[in-house]
Amino acid sequence: MSRDAVRAVKARVRPELAALDRATLRTALLRMHLIRRFEEMAEQSYMRGLVHGTMHLSIGQEASAVGAVLPLRRDDYILSTHRGHGHCIAKGADPARMLAEFFGKETGYCRGRGGSMHIADVEGGNLGANGIVAGGLPIAVGVGMSIKAQKQDRVCMVFFGDGAANEGAFHESLNMASIWRLPVVFVCENNQYGMSMDIGQAMAVANVADRAAAYAMPGVTVDGNDLPVVAAASRAAVDRARRGAGPTLLECRTYRIRGHSKSDRNLYRTKEEIERWRAADPIPRLEGELREAGVLGPSDVADIAAEAQRTIEAALAFAQSSPDPDPADLLRDVYAA
Amino acid sequence: MALEVVLPKVDMDMETGVIAAWRVAEGDRVNAGDVLFEMETSKSIMEVESPGSGIIRNLAPVDGAAVAVGTPVAWIDDERADAPRALHATAADASRRADAAPPRAPAAQASAPRAAARTADDPPNVTDEPPPLRATPYARQLARASGVDLASVHGSGPRGRVVAADVVARAPAEHADAADEALVPFSATRRIAAQRLAESVRTAPHFYLTAHVEMTALRAALSERSRDVHRAVGSAPTLTVALAFLAARALMRHPMVNASVQGPAARLHRHADIGIAMDRDGDLVVPVLRNAETRSLAELTADFARLRDGVRAHTLPPAELAGGTFTLSNLGMHGVDAFTAIINPPQSAILAIGRVVDTPVGRDGQIVLRPLATLSLSSDHRIVDGVTAARFMADLRQSIEHPAFE
Amino acid sequence: MPPDEVAVEAAARELTYAEAIREALAQAMEADPRVFLFGEDVGVYGGAFGVSGDLVHRFGKERVIDTPISELGLAGAAVGAALTGMRPVLEIQFSDFITLAMEQVVNQAAKIRFMFGGKASVPLVVRLPGGSGTGAAAQHSQSLEAWFAHVPGLKVVQPSTPHDVKGLLLAAIDDPNPVLIFEHKLLYKTRGVVPQAAYRVPIGRAVVRRPGRDVTIVAASIMALRAAAAAERLAADGIDAEVIDLRSLRPIDLPTIAASVTRTHRLLIVYEGVKTMGIGAEIAAQVAESEAFDCLDAPIARLGGADSPIPYNPVLERAAVPQEDDIVAAARRLVRQGLA
Repeated sequence: MSRDAVRAVKARVRPELAALDRATLRTALLRMHLIRRFEEMAEQSYMRGLVHGTMHLSIGQEASAVGAVLPLRRDDYILSTHRGHGHCIAKGADPARMLAEFFGKETGYCRGRGGSMHIADVEGGNLGANGIVAGGLPIAVGVGMSIKAQKQDRVCMVFFGDGAANEGAFHESLNMASIWRLPVVFVCENNQYGMSMDIGQAMAVANVADRAAAYAMPGVTVDGNDLPVVAAASRAAVDRARRGAGPTLLECRTYRIRGHSKSDRNLYRTKEEIERWRAADPIPRLEGELREAGVLGPSDVADIAAEAQRTIEAALAFAQSSPDPDPADLLRDVYAA
Repeated sequence: MALEVVLPKVDMDMETGVIAAWRVAEGDRVNAGDVLFEMETSKSIMEVESPGSGIIRNLAPVDGAAVAVGTPVAWIDDERADAPRALHATAADASRRADAAPPRAPAAQASAPRAAARTADDPPNVTDEPPPLRATPYARQLARASGVDLASVHGSGPRGRVVAADVVARAPAEHADAADEALVPFSATRRIAAQRLAESVRTAPHFYLTAHVEMTALRAALSERSRDVHRAVGSAPTLTVALAFLAARALMRHPMVNASVQGPAARLHRHADIGIAMDRDGDLVVPVLRNAETRSLAELTADFARLRDGVRAHTLPPAELAGGTFTLSNLGMHGVDAFTAIINPPQSAILAIGRVVDTPVGRDGQIVLRPLATLSLSSDHRIVDGVTAARFMADLRQSIEHPAFE
Repeated sequence: MPPDEVAVEAAARELTYAEAIREALAQAMEADPRVFLFGEDVGVYGGAFGVSGDLVHRFGKERVIDTPISELGLAGAAVGAALTGMRPVLEIQFSDFITLAMEQVVNQAAKIRFMFGGKASVPLVVRLPGGSGTGAAAQHSQSLEAWFAHVPGLKVVQPSTPHDVKGLLLAAIDDPNPVLIFEHKLLYKTRGVVPQAAYRVPIGRAVVRRPGRDVTIVAASIMALRAAAAAERLAADGIDAEVIDLRSLRPIDLPTIAASVTRTHRLLIVYEGVKTMGIGAEIAAQVAESEAFDCLDAPIARLGGADSPIPYNPVLERAAVPQEDDIVAAARRLVRQGLA
């Protein structure tokens, strides 16, 4: 019996949790806290008028982001959405350089040229958040083609929302990934709403993953707020892609506690609904399960939360003290060489 | 440590909001996520939730004032250990009212530049710009380089546009030693005069009447008065001044010859302001004897002397060099027998005076020598017909041959 | 000849425009394993216009890839492949279908480098058969290059000869930026001398096809050929026209055009794209802003496509775009009457 299985039997924990060792779980919880604190800090900065434009927060979707990315290697690729701060942090990005980017600073990941919606960490394998719904899907196909052509064993994971599943690009991309057996994992974070339209009105099928059959690939639907379950499903899809068996469509059902963007008046959903999902907050849920299973003690959890807090505060100080870009550099980087 | 409750920015272009109503009261216990107040933005009413738990104090007043985003509107006495520390708000000490900077007003109505309106009461356009000169950029470049005056070049292009070929045709032929030849740019005076004269030729249909006038009586009359006038004003009357005296009175009897073109009309001038063409350092200037029909010979003599001296000394103000209603040009002293002059726009006529020559004429069946001068009147046929001009000339001849200076 | 263009070899050999493209692709794929061609019907079918020919047999199905009809997906795939180390060449079957792929070309390919602060590049090539004259009617005959010449981050070229299409395609594949190459359908069967070597024609450099003194005629693609033919007729009429073949639309070679206008004093721009808001408007404005302005002896004239979709009827189809007769008449009018 594997150690995991032994532990599972001994501690009566479910296999999905048992499959993750302590270090991994600690990392996962830390990243979820980082995302939560980061999003709250970004939100506060925005409300104080320190951030230009708008932002799309993923508070409440931390388990989906962290769980999906957990099985990836550093040299695997991700492509993200306009709601991509969580994916970026989950892939290991430095919150300081992310916040500097939101403040439009030269020290940001995109040197202030991209902002929240275009955050990218190319060296870290994050090929960018995308401002166009479904914009990353065809790009993921190309990345998959590239990996195969160069005979690498990398995987490309592309995130998108329930709204993107109705764009033409979704269908073209899944079809091509399937006919060419590309190493792509399609992760749909279904948070029930496009901007204001709920999926019941927007989509002909009940689950996004139902569409996988149309493209002859596995379609898996999981509770996106349950980190071990997301991680397990993602691991299966990533392994399948890595061994050359082709793409998977993984649907994480989750919920965004905040509005679509900061100007969302939340007129399209009820307070009761928001409260119900707030009670299903993935962070306390995971903490509770880890404490019960004896993986972490209460002081461990407090330490993790404090570490996250410190990191985010340092990020703020870094971002605030960083220089703005020089307007004389406006035309730099429009073209290469 | 107190937790700030700020007025949040929720829209991309939002700078201020208004507190519409508080949902909690001073001293209430609140929890994170509770709705604290309703905020009014340009788009709608929005509920603002509490950032933390504790006792809420120092609620900002509900008075309809616009509050800048980021301004604290209340404080919560925070009791949770791991609550996020408040940011150093940049507006922490600011007053709760937005500063007086008004919202971005729509661009003020730019007052369109008002072109000077031309009305019938405007004075004649003696100082207006001539119509725009059409010339291609290359033609202009060539003209500049070769010293050709574009205004004098006939344009063969569309709408009279001067093209390079037109300039090349006008430019002096290139000599092998062209580099040694002087290229004298026009003075400002010449440039303006050149433009106006070219325009005059272009737009006024000139026609010419010539009269050989006997000067015997005029000469005699002048020499009779010469000493008296000289004693009175310090200079003797010249032939030109005498002619100005006589022409001014004749013009009063022939108003169309003392008129200016104004659009499709002729402006008849009340006075005869006689311009006298003069040379100043090689440039043509035309000082004006104003109200000449009312002035005595002596007054005109004095004025003429003043103008002549002022021209020579360059002290004459520009106003005295413009605005005549009729012009006299005398080249007799330079030995010219006769010539025709170009009308000084916007006047309707100009009189060119040649030298006085003893000429054989027939009188009472005999050939005798009499001092004759050739006077040529150039008239603008838009205003002055042949008969009108002829009558004026006849009248003038009569005045000259039977002068009266009272 | 400029030093970076290869002189014609002693044993000159002729290829068609289509064959020249195929040779460029083959040489690029031989030299660099990162280069691959994909698009609809480029494999066993040999390409809708016969361009790819037997490439699939020489390089295999992994380098010459047949695709479903998914222009948006394919353009995005080109972006993703280029982002991660490949050099994709995407063939869009008719340039009109680029409209389905606008999102990935304009929002992604053109902007990724800039949005990421210079941390990435997108070295892709899109080949687009375009233009009218084959009776393919309104949705298969457009000249849309001006749309893309308007987008910072993209490069746009329009070769007119077999020599230039090979050299420009190789230069485009080398270029680390996204390059769109508009090939005119009527040119595929034209023949010309094409050197054997893998040479490049520099992007952004125009060429004077025929020197002249009386008027500068600027054109690209098939219009450059029509302008050259018109110039021979004009010469018999006593008008000596200088013909400039643009070759690149973004970037545009303003110095060559301005130097020419400084000498001839007259400019006529001929293009197949719709005249209104087309490349001629941009060139006219750039010349008017340059030092050549003071040398103009007549207004700048433009001959462009009509303000209508391309008609099906052949007489109307011809009337909708500039023909050789139109170029002769316009040049005469400009030189003799000074009218645009």
